[in-house]
Amino acid sequence: MANNETDIKIVAFLCNWCTFTAADLAGTSRLKYAPNIRIVKVMCSSRIEPVFILKVLLDGADGVFIGGCAPGDCHYSKGNFYARRKVALAKTLAKSAGLDSERIRLSWIPASEGPRFAHVVNEFTAHIKELGDNPARREVYI
Amino acid sequence: METMIDSRMMMTDFLTALFDKLDVAGVAVMSKLPSGEKTAFTLFTGKDDIKECVPFFPAMPANAARAVSKFTRQAVPSKTVAVFLRPCELRAFTELIKIKQASFDNLLILSYDCSGVFPFQEINLSDETKLNAYRDAVSTGKNCEGIRPVCAACTRFTPQGEDIAISFVGRSTDQPLVFSFPSEKGLAAAEQLGLDVSNTVAASSAVESLAQERRSAEEELTAEVDASLSDTQGLVNVFDRCVSCHACSYVCPICYCKNCYFDSQTFEYFPESYFIRMQAKGALRFPVDRVLFHLGRLSHMGVSCVACGMCEDVCPVNIPVSQIFKTAGSKAQALFDYIPGENYDEPLPLLAYAEQELEEFED
Ligand code: SF4
Ligand code: SF4
Ligand code: SF4
Repeated sequence: MANNETDIKIVAFLCNWCTFTAADLAGTSRLKYAPNIRIVKVMCSSRIEPVFILKVLLDGADGVFIGGCAPGDCHYSKGNFYARRKVALAKTLAKSAGLDSERIRLSWIPASEGPRFAHVVNEFTAHIKELGDNPARREVYI
Repeated sequence: METMIDSRMMMTDFLTALFDKLDVAGVAVMSKLPSGEKTAFTLFTGKDDIKECVPFFPAMPANAARAVSKFTRQAVPSKTVAVFLRPCELRAFTELIKIKQASFDNLLILSYDCSGVFPFQEINLSDETKLNAYRDAVSTGKNCEGIRPVCAACTRFTPQGEDIAISFVGRSTDQPLVFSFPSEKGLAAAEQLGLDVSNTVAASSAVESLAQERRSAEEELTAEVDASLSDTQGLVNVFDRCVSCHACSYVCPICYCKNCYFDSQTFEYFPESYFIRMQAKGALRFPVDRVLFHLGRLSHMGVSCVACGMCEDVCPVNIPVSQIFKTAGSKAQALFDYIPGENYDEPLPLLAYAEQELEEFED
C-alpha cells in the first residue's frame, strides 16, 4: 500500500512523430526523469480512444498521460485536433463517473524538446503523488 | 412556432386518410397485441387493422427509431411510409441518419409533444386506473405518477424534425386532433388531406407548465445521479448488481453496431492475463470489465444519448442505466455544445473539431 515514488504507475500514450521522439531524445541525452511511466507508442495521438484511457484508470494505474505533436504540427495534419476532443470526452466521462479526471493529462511535446518531456513527466508524476493511489488500484469488484 | 389547426379528425379518421388520400404504402405505429395486454411497434400496410392502433399508448416496447432504421437503412422505401415517432425516438432516428443507418426519404414523420411512458413491465392495456390518471395528467400538463424517471425529467419532449406534429399535451384524447406542419412535406400532406388551415387553434399553456415541472425534475435527477457517482466506491456500488448481459446496449437505438466492441475478442484475454491482474489486486471479480463496458459504451454513444429510457426498461437487475446515461451524456454533450437529434446536418462531435477550442484540456 506504500505510496512511494516507484510504486506509482503512469501509462503514457505517445505519438510516434513528436512526443515519443522527444522521449527518445530525453533518453539519448541522458536526462533523468521519474521512472514511473510505461510508454505505449501510437502512430498518432488520434489513435487513442477514450476506452483506452478509461480502462487504464479502471484497471488501477494512477495516471494516464497522452503526448502528441503541437496543434498545427501533426504529422497527419489534424490528428491531434481529434485527439484533443477524445481526451476531453474521456476526462468529462471520468469525472461524471466518480473517477478523478486530474489523473489524465494531455501535453503537446515537439520532437526536439527532450528536456520539456522530462520536465512534464516529473511534474505529472509529482502531481499524481499528491493525489495518492488510484482507489481503483485495489478495487476487486470494479 | 408553427400555426396549429383543428383537423376535425379523430385518430382513426386520420389513419384512414393516410391510406385513402395520401396513398401511403404503410403506417408504422404502436398497436395492441392479440393477447390484449401489451403493445408493439407495428408496420401496417393496409387500413383493416386501424382500430388496433394506439399511437399514444404510454409504453415503449422498443425504441421505434431502431425499427424505422431497419426498413430505411439500405434502400429508400419505394412509396411513402408514415411513421409515428416519439420526440426521443425521432432524435435517435436523426442520430442514426448521421451515421448512415437510416434515411428519411419517402417517410412522413408524425410526432407529438410527449407526456412520457410507464416502465414497459408496469403498464397493460387493461390498467384503467393508471391510464385514466395518465389522460388527466396529459390534459393538465403534469407528470403522471409512475412514468419512468427519465420521462418525468425529459425537457426535450417536443419533437424536432417531424413533418406533422400532433398537439398532445394539454388536450383531451377524445377531441379531434390538432396539427401543425413544420416541414414542406407536412404542408403538402395537409393539402392532400384537404385540411382547412384557417381553423387555427391556440397553443396550450399546459406545455409550458409541464416544461417547468420537467426542468426541476431534471435538476433533481442530475443531483441524485451525481451524488451516487461521486467517487470510485460510488461507481462500484452503482454497478454492483450488473450481470453484464449487455441488454442495455442491445435495445439502445444509438448502439447500432452489429458486433459490439465489448462483445468482441478484444475483451477475451489469455488465461495468464487474468492471473496477472489477480496478483496485482489480490482477487478478481468475474466477469471482468463490467464497469468498463458502461464507461466505454458512454464514450461511444453518450454524446448521442437521447435519454429514451429503453436501457433502463430492460435491465434485469434494475440499475438506473438511462438516468446515468442521460446525466453523463448531457455533460458530454454540453462539452461540445451538441444536442443529439437537433439537426441531421450536424456532424457527430468526435468527427469534428475546431482549431481553437478545449484549451483547458491541453498544455
Ligand atoms: S457499446 Fe459501442 S461498440 Fe457496442 S454497440 Fe454500442 S456503440 Fe457499438
Ligand atoms: S443509452 Fe439508454 S437512454 Fe440513452 S439512447 Fe441508449 S437506450 Fe436510450
Ligand atoms: S442491462 Fe443491466 S445488468 Fe445487463 S449489462 Fe446493462 S446494466 Fe448490466
